[in-house]
Amino acid sequence: LISSAGLFLFSSKSTSPPPLSPLFLGVSHNRARERKKKKKMEMAIDTPSPSPSVSPAPSAAAGRQTRAAESVRLEHQLVRVPLEALRATARTNHRLAEKEIAAVLSSASSAAAAPGESGSAAAVDHLTSLVSRLHGLKRKMEEGARAEELQVQRCRARLDRLAAASAGDDAEWEDIRLKRILVDYMLRMSYYDTATKLAETSGIQDLVDIDVFLDAKRVIDSLRNKEIAPALAWCAENKSRLKKSKSKLEFLLRLQEFVELVKAKNFLQAISYARKYLAPWGSTHMKELQRVTATLVFRSSTNCAQYKVLFEQNQWDSLVDQFKQEFYKLYGMTLEPLLNIYLQAGLTALKTPFCFEGNCPKEDPLSLDGFRKLAEPLPFSKQHHSKLVCHITKELMDTENPPLVLPNGYVYSTKALDEMAKKNGGKIICPRTGEECNYTELVKAYIS
Amino acid sequence: MVPLSQLEGCQKELNVALSKYLKVLEKSFNTDISKAYRNVDFEASTVNNIIANHFYRQGLFDLGDSFVHECGESDETYLKLPFQEMYGILEAMKARNLEPALTWAANNRDKLLQNSSMLELKLHSLQFVEILTRGSRDNALQYARTHLVPFASMHKAEIQKLMACLIWADRLEQSPYAEFVSSTHWDKLAEELIHQFCSLLGQSSDSPLSVAVSAGFQGLPTLLKLTTVMAAKKQEWQTMKQLPVPIDIGPEFQYHSVFVCPVLREQSSDENPPMLMPCGHAVSKQSIMKLSKSSSRPFKCPYCPSEAVASQCKQLHF
Repeated sequence: LISSAGLFLFSSKSTSPPPLSPLFLGVSHNRARERKKKKKMEMAIDTPSPSPSVSPAPSAAAGRQTRAAESVRLEHQLVRVPLEALRATARTNHRLAEKEIAAVLSSASSAAAAPGESGSAAAVDHLTSLVSRLHGLKRKMEEGARAEELQVQRCRARLDRLAAASAGDDAEWEDIRLKRILVDYMLRMSYYDTATKLAETSGIQDLVDIDVFLDAKRVIDSLRNKEIAPALAWCAENKSRLKKSKSKLEFLLRLQEFVELVKAKNFLQAISYARKYLAPWGSTHMKELQRVTATLVFRSSTNCAQYKVLFEQNQWDSLVDQFKQEFYKLYGMTLEPLLNIYLQAGLTALKTPFCFEGNCPKEDPLSLDGFRKLAEPLPFSKQHHSKLVCHITKELMDTENPPLVLPNGYVYSTKALDEMAKKNGGKIICPRTGEECNYTELVKAYIS
Repeated sequence: MVPLSQLEGCQKELNVALSKYLKVLEKSFNTDISKAYRNVDFEASTVNNIIANHFYRQGLFDLGDSFVHECGESDETYLKLPFQEMYGILEAMKARNLEPALTWAANNRDKLLQNSSMLELKLHSLQFVEILTRGSRDNALQYARTHLVPFASMHKAEIQKLMACLIWADRLEQSPYAEFVSSTHWDKLAEELIHQFCSLLGQSSDSPLSVAVSAGFQGLPTLLKLTTVMAAKKQEWQTMKQLPVPIDIGPEFQYHSVFVCPVLREQSSDENPPMLMPCGHAVSKQSIMKLSKSSSRPFKCPYCPSEAVASQCKQLHF
């Protein structure tokens, strides 16, 4: 009996590696894909060095390449987020597999150590249950591998998008780029429905991280509901990385829980809670710890401003903000929405004192109130060389289309005035003052 | 414990690959593009308003409505209705129906003429060609008599071309006037309609959000370099009133004439306007005052040997 049970044990043990090896293959496939990914990315980043040629056409193309390379360099968030999501999934899968296998093996070895106790039938049942547990694990690992595979594909999709930056249609690439950053803005502001709609209608689901933000949504919603548990669970999942970045999110969550206990007048519970959960943070955050624990004395009905604020509703809002910041940092995202960053840069580049004068052309975004308001605290742009724009044609007045000066001092481009003279038999009428003169009275201005 | 160690081996390999990938990313990309961001109050409601208008402008009405609903900014005036009208006209045009466009052009005839736009004529011409290609020469002629005649005096050449099309009625593609049946012609006309429609509305043709963000795409790399250099020199970025260096963005973003005096290297302003010297060169008023020392002594142009007196210099208006 014992020997047959032992044989059974050995045979079931020998069947345990095979269910796992397809998974190992899956994992090694992932690794091969990771290496391919890296190569691809290096190709996407590398700018082909501009050929030292004299003709203007190659240098225009080279200029385009450098601009594309510079644009691509700004897209860290695009490639980093799916990587972090992949790491998180891999971590969860690994932990699950390790735990299950360790549990099964220890259970199997304990059964082997005490075979005779419950009889061979019970031993066989025990082993069968372990085998089915392993089958269950195999299923879970296959699911996990599929999830990882999807995320690897998403990483690749991002790299493909960047590789397309210098090839083909610039206008389309930029249009998609604007849509991507609009989705990013809406996800950060919690406008999930519109973000999903925009992603779907533009077909950019692979280029945005809706699922990552929906994960965060669960925590954010719970915090708004005054529940600490999901946020604490998130901190536990990411413990090592939060510790590395010296995050105090967990501490703040614990403090809030403490204050809630004080609010509810569970003073004894509050004290034991503080002893258990707040004390470990004393070495690094003593001042804050002292301040909050003082609420025990002041209580929720206090009028003392310093402590009253700790009982306010918006403490929860600041917790949401704190969580968002940690979340963005963990995933390699910028702390500000991408839209704000690019919008600020654009407004700074466009801002001139002339935008705020009376006749700002409608084509300039800074002719609009909303943009003016946003641009108000931003610096003015600077120009080192004169750049003149014809009031009539809106084109640049340069050496190919030089400026001509009317007797009244108003300046327009040669193109515009030539056409006006042609239509009016040599007569020029200043569009802004109505004064008339002859084409022959115009004087060329030399402005570089 | 072979299975466990096998598993651990694989996991380790994957982790190593992932960390290598991470390192390559950190090396190849700029990991913090918010360095140039000014910590000012970028009010969400202003930005939301801009985004909502952007969606309506681009004809994404469902998206705009959903956005307005989600962000809760429902009491602002949006450009929804006028743009719905515009997209209605464009949709019809795509289906080769020019009626809404013609109605709009007729209703806004005066303003279009003020803008020196030939849009109404072009629409009628296209309609004429449509009727012709659909087979009926008589109907086309009738149409020309009703609608093209008012334009005859001003645009003789155009009308002549269209009349010549009558001869080639069933083989326009092989005629010298093949352009009238090409789809690019329709596309161009749609573009002109958008341009005129927006202009009459007092709006720009392109979405201002697209324009501002495009300028940002082009300008951010330079701004980031600037903040890095300033941080190294310990200069204050957050409170600076004017950038010390120019940001090169495309010429399409130049909306204002900027005159930089070649002598003093300063941008002109109301107090210091650009002045034209008799030789044709231009410098700022302050430069002239410096060069002439007193207002009646002649001074030499910094660029050429000719001399001038301050009173001979004329103020320029760009």
